[in-house]
Order: sequence, then structure tokens, then C-alpha cells
Amino acid sequence: MAENIQTNATAQSAEPQQSYRRFGPGQRFEHVVLLVTFTGLAVTGLPQTYAEYGWAKALIDLMGGIESIRVIHRILATILMAEAIYHGGILTYKLFVLGRKATMIPGFRDLKDVLQWIAFNLGLRQEHPHLPRYNFGEKAEYLAVIWGTVIMVITGFMMWNPIATTNFLPGSAVPVARVAHGAEALLAVLSIITWHMWNVHIRRFNRAMFTGNLPLDAMEEEHGEELEQILAGHVDEDPPREVIAKRNMYFFPYAFIVGTLLVLGLIFFVTFEDTAITTVDPAVVVEAPDVVEVSAEDGVAETGAEVWASLNCNECHGENAEGGEGRLNVALANTSLTFDEFVAAVRRGPADMKAYSVRDVSDLDLAHLYAWLQSQ
Amino acid sequence: MTRLHVKAWLLAGIGIILLATGYLFVSLPVRIHAQEAQESQAVQNAMPSEPTGDNSFCLVCHADSDATATLDDGTTLHVGVDPSVLEGSVHGAGNEQGALGCVDCHGTDAFPHDDPLPQSARAYTVQASLMCTNCHVEQTENLADGVHYTAITDGNLNSASCVDCHGSHDIQPPDEPREKISETCGDCHTSVFTEYRDSVHGEALFEGDPNVPTCVDCHGVHGIQHPTTALFRNRSPELCAECHADTELMEEYGISTYVFESYLTDFHGTTVQLFNQTDPNVPTNKAVCYDCHGVHNIAEASADKSRVVRENLLETCRECHPDASADFPDSWVGHFPPSLDNHPLMFLVDLFYDILIPVVVGGFLFLIATDIIRRIRKMFSGRSAE
Repeated sequence: MAENIQTNATAQSAEPQQSYRRFGPGQRFEHVVLLVTFTGLAVTGLPQTYAEYGWAKALIDLMGGIESIRVIHRILATILMAEAIYHGGILTYKLFVLGRKATMIPGFRDLKDVLQWIAFNLGLRQEHPHLPRYNFGEKAEYLAVIWGTVIMVITGFMMWNPIATTNFLPGSAVPVARVAHGAEALLAVLSIITWHMWNVHIRRFNRAMFTGNLPLDAMEEEHGEELEQILAGHVDEDPPREVIAKRNMYFFPYAFIVGTLLVLGLIFFVTFEDTAITTVDPAVVVEAPDVVEVSAEDGVAETGAEVWASLNCNECHGENAEGGEGRLNVALANTSLTFDEFVAAVRRGPADMKAYSVRDVSDLDLAHLYAWLQSQ
Repeated sequence: MTRLHVKAWLLAGIGIILLATGYLFVSLPVRIHAQEAQESQAVQNAMPSEPTGDNSFCLVCHADSDATATLDDGTTLHVGVDPSVLEGSVHGAGNEQGALGCVDCHGTDAFPHDDPLPQSARAYTVQASLMCTNCHVEQTENLADGVHYTAITDGNLNSASCVDCHGSHDIQPPDEPREKISETCGDCHTSVFTEYRDSVHGEALFEGDPNVPTCVDCHGVHGIQHPTTALFRNRSPELCAECHADTELMEEYGISTYVFESYLTDFHGTTVQLFNQTDPNVPTNKAVCYDCHGVHNIAEASADKSRVVRENLLETCRECHPDASADFPDSWVGHFPPSLDNHPLMFLVDLFYDILIPVVVGGFLFLIATDIIRRIRKMFSGRSAE
């Protein structure tokens, strides 16, 4: 590795290495969008999956709290989905209007390339496999991004709109989406950290995604077959202008219709459902109850008779409050006490009588009792 | 002289409360639950002086249980005390510190009493609570943090003071039997008490269960926090978890302790716990335990009247998700780990990724390793060639 960098440096200082066009401005722009949204989605998403860990809490706090990172996550997801729609359009244009080859389709030769590459790395083979314009490593990454985005968009929709989802899928699909979304995210991030980092940052800093060009030595190693074709004078030529113009007549209406539908779908996606109420009704506030002002007039004599029996007043005061045989032979019929005095006496429990608290008998029941006593 | 004396007592009491409030604000994190339920009911500081058990002087007049004084507002203040009631109370003969005499609480407003009479009987009751603060310091400190005390200082004299819950001359241990605690709260909070009494906790309490929460186990005793704040809500799952995540305790009842953990891994629980740990005072609309299970009316999850039993679950979901479809409740995994029997697809997807991730990443790492091997070999062969 060190040797490579040195060679590069020497070559660059002596005479600039020949470099080859690899990515146009559009592709580089798409890469930057992907780079920003992917990183942002990972940074705002993984802490939600692993919220029970300290690092996740610290990150969430740093980014303004869980509700704020959910908003950021959704904004980035929307941008990424818009990018996916754009990419689909560009891809269709290149394949069907410009007639380019589908260079990202994996095939048997990629498997052969991998095995040869491993054999070469281990010294079991002398020659580095001659790799095509997009080698097995790049195809793996590209297709993983497609696969991952599809999974994330579907499962993301289900979490974003769980009620809509349960209209056409069983309810249990929603937690499945949650599990898949988190696991797929982990897979994607780990793949980027290992495979992508190694190939384009550690092994050799591949600037092609930013400058558009790849130097000769990198071309030799990573795209040997393509380099040979270029050196042999083979160029992918665009079809004649009139053919393109004719194809455009089909392409643009199609692109407009499909694009509009997809963008409408995206808007539907992100605005469709208010899953939950935004604020929970505050719990019923328990105000300190007012002391109920009960007066003698509130009493009903008939009810008072029931209270008299239920409290066993009769045991000491007699069945009809005429006075009893217990230690408290106190007659209460037609009592001379005022209602206030009566209540106070019951609450206090004069002499040997038990004190009756509001737990034992309410003020209103005492009013009933008082009314009954007055009627005796 | 006597007037000054009572003023001094009052000032001392108010001073203690103010100091306690200040101390609480600077030193103690806000408490919302019932650590203090277990607080010692014993007296924390020494008696201001040795108890003076002899009440014969006061009882010359005050033993007349019908003795009253009419106050400015027309209410009647009963000033008679049955000495046997005081004698049988916690402050009576059985008191470890010695039986209290009248003046130990009331001060020595010697006869003839020339202190001004209180405005109303109620004002006197509230004011009389200051007497308790002289000895019961810890309770007083907690009280300063609680809703009842705050309401009183805000001018609502109907709010509970010491004697409203504990009684005055007839004070008995507040938790013997245990249901007495909740009954005491129920004296004022009648509707809440009625709901609680019919709940799974309340029913068990009145059947003598020693573990189920009484009011104070969730709300606290003297330092009762307002239960409608964001803080209370955000912390409430941990409050429930204090018992429901306690394996030993739940074993007796055959209740799974996975409830708390499973809640935390779910969308609702993850969010609430994050709020709890980072912004505990910010309200969240995500469900906490009692949003689904109910608050005071909480029932056994499988009971017919339960808010979370399958037949009632949709209605419960719709309280927060008004548009919820009939299948929506199924998106709740329940408080059980996914398995082949419970949410099998979730279990299988999890398993799929548990295999896929190591295979893919391991594959990449293997390829990278071979690349590194080649580069190392090249470095050595390059050197030997030089």
C-alpha cells in the first residue's frame, strides 16, 4: 500500500499520470446526496434502534432530543427517496435512450472474478483478474444500496404510516418492519465501514467520485479489462442524434408521467397519516375538594333512619333514640342540640362514645340523622 | 408575654418550613414517589423539652367535652378534650418519648388565655399543624415539597394539613391496618378512591395483600408531587417497574417481569425513557404504562374489564390513535419476547438478520484480509528485490 502511494507521488511529481474519465458531474452529485443522506440517516437512526445504550443517548441529546432526530431522519429519508426517483429516471434514460449497456448486472463472470482475485491475493495465481468497468466489489455495493433502499423505504413507510399499513397488512407486520429497518441499517452501515472504506479510502484513496477521473495504476488494478478496451480504441458511442430525438419523444412523456406519479407517491408517503394525537389530554386534575357545606335542611328523615341502623346508634341510644340500656343511656329524640353542635359531638365522640370521622359517616348522612332525630 | 410566646412558636415553625423548602430545592432531586413511604414515623429531633405528661391544670376547663369557643366568622371551635383519647393515642402512654402534655404541642398560653382567637375553625386546624413540625422534622421537609402544603400556602385552606390525615388528639399509626392509608386519602379524594378500591391493586389491598401499592406507594406521603406533570408522566414507567420488574416480588403473583424491558424496546417505551433521561420536564404524547392499563382503575390484563384485554384494546388504542384500524392493535407485540409462537415473523426476520449480517460482513472482512495478505507479501518481495 505504502509502495503504491509512493509510486503515485513520484509519478505525479515527475509527469502527471494518465487518468481516465469515470464519473460525470451528475453521478458525482448523486454520490454526494447519497453520502450526506446515508450518513445523516445512520447517525439519526441507529441511536433510535440502540436507544438503551449510553452512546446512543448522548448522540440523541447532542442532536436535540428524540423528537428532533425523528424529524431530521424523516427529512433525510425524503431527500433520499427523491434521489432514488431521480436515479431511476437517469438510469432509464441511459439504458433506453442512449442505449448504454447495463454494466451493473451481476453475472457468473463476477463470481469467477472474485475467486480469481482471492487466488491471486493468496499467491495461488500469478495474474490479477482483468476486471470490467464495474467490478464485483462495486456491483456488490451498488446492488446493496438498491436492495437496502428498497427495504428501508418499505419498512420505513410501515413505521411512518402504521395505521395505513394495517389496512392492507396484518398488524403484526408493523413490528416486523421495525426489526427489519433496524437490522438492515446495521447491515448497511457495517458494510460501508468495512467494504467501502477499505476499497476506496484505505487501500487507496479513490478520488474518482469527486474528481471524476481515475489514474492509470488504479485503472490497471481495478478495471483492467475496461482499460484494455479503451486502449484498443473501443468507445461506447451514443446513437445518432435523430435516433436519440425519436427516443426522447417517448422517453420524456413517460418520464413525466412516471416521475409525477412517484413524486405524488412520495408526498403521499410523507404526509399521509396522522398516526397519533399530538398531545395527550392532561390527566384529570384532582382539585382539592371543597369542604361540603351541609346544613340541617339537607337531611331526609327516612334516610336518617337507615343511617341510624347502619351505624348501630340504637345499641346505646335506643331504637327510636329514646335512650338505651348501654353505658350511654342518652336520649337523642328531638334533640336540643343545634345541627353544628350535633355534628361536632359525633365527630368528637363525647364521653365514652366513639368518635365518628368522615370516613365513618359523611356530613350529609349526619344531616339525615339529625332530620330523623328531630322527627322522633 | 404569652402573646409573644405563641408568636415565637409560630415564627419558629414557619422558619423551619422555609429552611426546609430551601434545603430541598438546593440539595434534593425532585422526588415523585414513595421512597419516603417507608420513612420513619419516629420523631427526628429531640423534644424541645422533656414531655410534660401532667395535664391536670388544663383539664380543669378542657375536660368538659362540650366546651366551645365561637370565632370571629361564627364557626365553633371545640376546645374540650377527652383525656382518655389523648392517653390512647400515639402521643399518650405508649409514646417512647414519654406521654405528651397539652403544652408540649399547644405551648404555654397560661390562663387566662389572652392570645387572639383564630379567624375560623378551619384556620385553626391548619395553623395547629405547625405544632407537629416542631418534632416531625423529616415529614415537614417532605411536606414543603408536596401539593397539599403548596395549596395551603397558596391560600386554599381546604387542602389537607397534618391533622386532616392523622387526626389531632386521637392520632393512631396511619398504616395499621395498611388499607387505612388509602382510606385516609379517600376521605377527600372520594372518586379516585372508589376507582382504586375496585382495581386489581385496591381489591388485593382490602384482602390483606401486604405488597400491592396503596396511594402513597405511587404518590408519596408528605412530599406528594402533582401527578399531572410531564415529569411524573415521564418517570411513571420506572415507578411501575419498581414492583413489576422485581422478579422476586412478581414471582408470588406469577406476573412476568419482562413487561418493563419489553416496554423499553418498543417505540413508546424507547421514546418515553429518552424523555425521562434527557428532558424529563418536556411532555411527550407517547404512551406510558397507565395510558393503556389505566390509572386508578387498573385491572388484571386478562380481566373482562381490562383496558388491554383483546376485546377492549382497539378502543384503548384509539384514545391516542383515533384512526386506528381493526388490525392496528396487532402491531403491538405485547409484553412477551418474539418467538415462534408469539409474532413468529418478527422472530424469523430477527433471526434472518442475525445470520445475514455476520455472513455478509464476515465475507467482506475475508476478502479484505486476502487483499491485505497480498499487499504484505508484495511489500516483502519488493524489498527483497531491491
